[in-house]
Amino acid sequence: MPEKKGEAFELEMPAKAKYVGLARLLAGSIARRINFSEENIDDLKIAISEMCTNAIVHTANGVKDTPPIVVRYLAGDGFLTVEVEDQGPGFDPECVLDKEGRDLLGKGFGIPLIMTLVDVFECDSDPQSGTVVSITKFLEAEKGES
Amino acid sequence: MDDEEREGTELDVALENISDFSVVSLTGEVDVYSAPKLRETIKDLVEKGNYHIVVDLEKVAFLDSTGLGVLVGGLKRVKPHEGELGIICNQEKILRIFRITGLTKVFPIYRSREELPTSVKET
Repeated sequence: MPEKKGEAFELEMPAKAKYVGLARLLAGSIARRINFSEENIDDLKIAISEMCTNAIVHTANGVKDTPPIVVRYLAGDGFLTVEVEDQGPGFDPECVLDKEGRDLLGKGFGIPLIMTLVDVFECDSDPQSGTVVSITKFLEAEKGES
Repeated sequence: MDDEEREGTELDVALENISDFSVVSLTGEVDVYSAPKLRETIKDLVEKGNYHIVVDLEKVAFLDSTGLGVLVGGLKRVKPHEGELGIICNQEKILRIFRITGLTKVFPIYRSREELPTSVKET
């Protein structure tokens, strides 16, 4: 998690599809408590759903003995950062998107969608240590939209 | 379905015929957990010879790229049969996802059931 000040929450969950809704629900609840609009809460929920889906797919969709994924939330003054960590096989972060912005991880819409819906998207992946994907959405950006 | 399976995202699927269309009405959330239910529904319809399908998203509270992928997959199934896969949706939060991904140019989108054509186009 980046060194920013705020209230931190952590959800460790089995790498199974049925728990993605839980990560989404928690994101929505936290965002609502720091006064994000419903439209921006919807954006955050989609981004977190995409991040968790990728993490689960890359850790073999909950087969026996698959390590859990960890979702960390940091709710600060005017922002929400969410980080999803998996212990899947990892990949080269430079190869996430091609020059046209298309998702190269095979699912097509997921990562371009995340990048459109949030203000900051970061990805750190290594074949040995797994993947950490992080997004941040700012309340200030929300005010600028209106 | 056991108790553990019921814990995930809820998605109810209902089928009906309107004019020449098979209408798939969804209620709930479409994500990586629930999307296979939609995929199987569309697959079954096509296998039974229904190539003009409309998916009603009016009661969908959440849709992500997995759901979009299933809809695109459905379109690929009906196209070889000169069919179509349309969407009924008037919810801005859902339509926005179609716009961002460019899929408004791919799917016929109807704002309501009343906008559905009374018959399919003859080819």
